Amino acid sequence: MMGSQAAKRTGRWKSRIASELVGILGAEAVISAEDELIAYESDGLTGYRVKPVFVVLPSSAEEVSRVVKLCNREKIPFVPRGAGTGLSGGALPNREGIVISLSRMNRILDVDIPNRVVVVEPGVVNISVTDAVSAEGFYYAPDPSSQIVCTIGGNVAENSGGVHCLKYGVTTNHVLGVEMVLPDGAVATFGGMTPENFGYDLLSLVVGSEGLLGIVTKVFLRIIKKPQVVRTLFASFERIEDAGASVSAIISSGVIPAGMEIMDNLSINAVESTVGAGYPRDAGAILLVELDGPGAEVNAQVPAVIGILRENGAVEIKLAADESERQLFWKGRKSAFAAMGKISPGYYVQDGVIPRSSLARVLGEIGDLGKQYGLRVANVFHAGDGNLHPLVLYDPEVEGESEKAEELSGEILRVCVDAGGSITGEHGVGFDKKRFLSLMFNEQEIDTMNLVRCAFDEEGLCNPGKVFPTPRTCVEPGMRKHGSEAPSPKEMGELF
Amino acid sequence: MSYVTELSKMVSSFHVPGSGDAGPSVPEFGFSPQIVLYPETVEEISQILSFASRSGIRIFPFAGGTKLFLGNPVDEVGAALSLRRLCRVLFHEPSDMVSTVQCGMEVREFQKAIECENQIFPVDPPLLNTGATVGGLVSSNLCGPMSTRYGTCRELILGVKAVRADGEIINVGGKVVKNVAGYDIPKLMVGSLGTLCVLAEATFRLYPRQHFSRTLVLGFDNHVSCSQAARAILAADIVPTCFEILDENLSSEFGTTTQGAKRTILLRFDSFEEAVVEQIKEVRETTLGETSAFVEMTDEISRDLWAAAREFPFLPGVSFSSKLTLPVTASVEALSDIESSPALSGVDALCLSRPARGVTLVSVSGEDEQAVSAACFLENLADSLGGRIMFSGIRRELREKVRAWGDFGDALSLMKNIKQRFDPRDILPGEKIFDADRG
Ligand SMILES: Cc1cc2nc3c(=O)[nH]c(=O)nc-3n(C[C@H](O)[C@H](O)[C@H](O)COP(=O)(O)OP(=O)(O)OC[C@H]3O[C@@H](n4cnc5c(N)ncnc54)[C@H](O)[C@@H]3O)c2cc1C
Repeated sequence: MMGSQAAKRTGRWKSRIASELVGILGAEAVISAEDELIAYESDGLTGYRVKPVFVVLPSSAEEVSRVVKLCNREKIPFVPRGAGTGLSGGALPNREGIVISLSRMNRILDVDIPNRVVVVEPGVVNISVTDAVSAEGFYYAPDPSSQIVCTIGGNVAENSGGVHCLKYGVTTNHVLGVEMVLPDGAVATFGGMTPENFGYDLLSLVVGSEGLLGIVTKVFLRIIKKPQVVRTLFASFERIEDAGASVSAIISSGVIPAGMEIMDNLSINAVESTVGAGYPRDAGAILLVELDGPGAEVNAQVPAVIGILRENGAVEIKLAADESERQLFWKGRKSAFAAMGKISPGYYVQDGVIPRSSLARVLGEIGDLGKQYGLRVANVFHAGDGNLHPLVLYDPEVEGESEKAEELSGEILRVCVDAGGSITGEHGVGFDKKRFLSLMFNEQEIDTMNLVRCAFDEEGLCNPGKVFPTPRTCVEPGMRKHGSEAPSPKEMGELF
Repeated sequence: MSYVTELSKMVSSFHVPGSGDAGPSVPEFGFSPQIVLYPETVEEISQILSFASRSGIRIFPFAGGTKLFLGNPVDEVGAALSLRRLCRVLFHEPSDMVSTVQCGMEVREFQKAIECENQIFPVDPPLLNTGATVGGLVSSNLCGPMSTRYGTCRELILGVKAVRADGEIINVGGKVVKNVAGYDIPKLMVGSLGTLCVLAEATFRLYPRQHFSRTLVLGFDNHVSCSQAARAILAADIVPTCFEILDENLSSEFGTTTQGAKRTILLRFDSFEEAVVEQIKEVRETTLGETSAFVEMTDEISRDLWAAAREFPFLPGVSFSSKLTLPVTASVEALSDIESSPALSGVDALCLSRPARGVTLVSVSGEDEQAVSAACFLENLADSLGGRIMFSGIRRELREKVRAWGDFGDALSLMKNIKQRFDPRDILPGEKIFDADRG
């Protein structure tokens, strides 16, 4: 269907649509010049690039709705876009498609401290929410490392996490409601100011829907009180297995830290060679444990955790004496990805999840796979929830190496799934990982997800070509289309 | 061959009501299934539903049968499908704090099974001690006082194995605490009252047991000081496991030590001993001057009190129970709105608010006519405060006038669309959620 439509899309068609879009949004909110479109060709996963026909920058839900209605009439696929920091190609445009950028819808609409709710437009940057309520002693808990640029709309679509989601949960646990433009252009609100709701939980479907169920135009966010006390522990280990065992032992003891992060020897050395966080270069792994909460609780937890770290063979244990030492502990972790870019001309990152109990075994298997492929793999991960970030290092100049890196990354995801885990903990399936979805789910299960998509988007115009391994129609639930067009991954190196 | 015979061949155990066999006891359905099926495997459930959807036989899934009073009444069905024989813990990895359990298992049994590892499944729904099952818990999304800290099972569910109305077995979600692969269908099952799929297994995140527990009972002479104290508690640097506000009638119904107080606040803290002591001190300081009574209780002594709070508002013999979901501050003030309303003067109303969850629970008993105007008032109140309402346990005579659900707003048409796609022949009774005559 899309092919025959595309054939009709002449220059005349394009200028007619352009003038309609300008009529809805004004000339300065419609981009069609080739050189300006380049900025929207990809998201954070720059290996995939597709140039859209138009990029539009609406300022209100009503404008979004009118654009979406136009897309329906003309059967134009459309892709919502936030800051474009996504790491799974979720905001990758469609050829013949329109990108709807929400960056101008960036107002904080309401700060309601007594009800612990902040209402925002989707283009608001994550950190701005905390900034808006920080003086009152509150914050917005989900804190992706990209929080100074990524948007709430993108966070909702990806169900983003952060280093503190072990204790506080991910985006889905902090979104009370959304207003959205549905794929047919109608505007609907699910949830709102109330922490609980009745009926089918449509909100939970929308969070994590990767832009396939509509365009979020307003978000009701739960804010929480800043913890009274935050204490951060640093521990180094000879063996990464011992760091992993400490993580399980800490949680089993009744302590749920705000975050627990592990870095392996390769990552430690990458960081030391670049930012110099003071991590011991000879350590097999380091573990950061952040405890927060009421003062008395944290003070009781600190000695308990230190005891556990000791029992599990920690070589060195340090408790941050003040905020600047705490920042130093975190500095290495936060710059880990950037450091990889310094020690390797290219790297490929995945975000598979494994059960904590299989950490040692899986890390061993990843090491073996790295040797087999002749590539180095660094491991930096959210250890508390088993969310790995294996970084496969390679040189794009070496013939065939990027393909090898991509293949190895796929093998790593297979190992994660075999261990009882998931192909993605926070980055989403998007375009990049849709071929791996069937590692986790069989055809009936993917068809069931398609039932949800069809309930929202019968026409399949909203961010098509993502998540589902093969395009599915809504005519008969489960029916598959064949022959999807795929841009070829050119340079798989991450540029962020 | 009749469908009853066909279905009976698909399971090793079944019961035909009225056949003269005693059979296992079944709840008062309010409708008359021709056969009650007791499958022992997911495959048997799949076979049953596959046959039912081909033949248009409606199937009513149940397990404990404790929550039949939730949602709209069910019209006739061909067969009732009991999950009672699927009642085992299938997987529990203590170091991952994750467990998979069959949906016919009683919540209480499940909790006991994981207790030995010092872990808890932190939900305390009503009917816990009268046979509430895991499947019933997920499909009803009922919760109790502990939801203040842990949320409802929406926050705990990681994955489900379910059987679609057409008999397909699906395993969705996962067994790890973080997972964004595909839509969150496990959460869609939460609160769907068995109208989309038959739930066979569920995987949950567990929590560690805390070392030390204390309960506080605070009495107040008037609602103004209670509201003041409630706001101070919400703003304090403390993390209560439970936080409830009771009106005067409910407090005397519970027999709390603050009898005679206009309002009572119940709080529970679970943590290290020194942390609990410190938080109690903090509560004492922040509520100083507001309280007329301040009683500290050990875990042992407070047990009955928490059991009573957990069971509320499902009291026997009432005209109806209701749950209002409101913004946080509105749930603090709602008790006064309810108390001072002339619409409730002719009935006996008992109220409890769970402020951190924005929930107010009300049970009403009285003459039918007055109960209807009380329901009307509560529905308008929820609406005016920006919330929604659900009625349950509605006395038969009132059912024409008091509907289980308030307005679903914009969500209704999409909800219907989802139901239609999952179960186009309405094999799993959709009327529990969708009113036939309300468009
Ligand atoms: C350096 C770096 C660090 C990162 N760290 C983390 C991390 O710690 N944790 C983590 O979870 N992620 C992380 N990410 C990934 C990324 O930042 C998140 O996925 C983020 O939520 C994307 O937000 P965005 O605004 O950039 O969305 P985009 O990339 O623009 O879009 C992401 C998806 O959301 C959809 N979308 C955007 N806006 C809307 C809307 N209004 N309505 C509907 N759909 C919409 C798009 O169609 C797309 O599918 C990191 C990325 C980088 C580059």
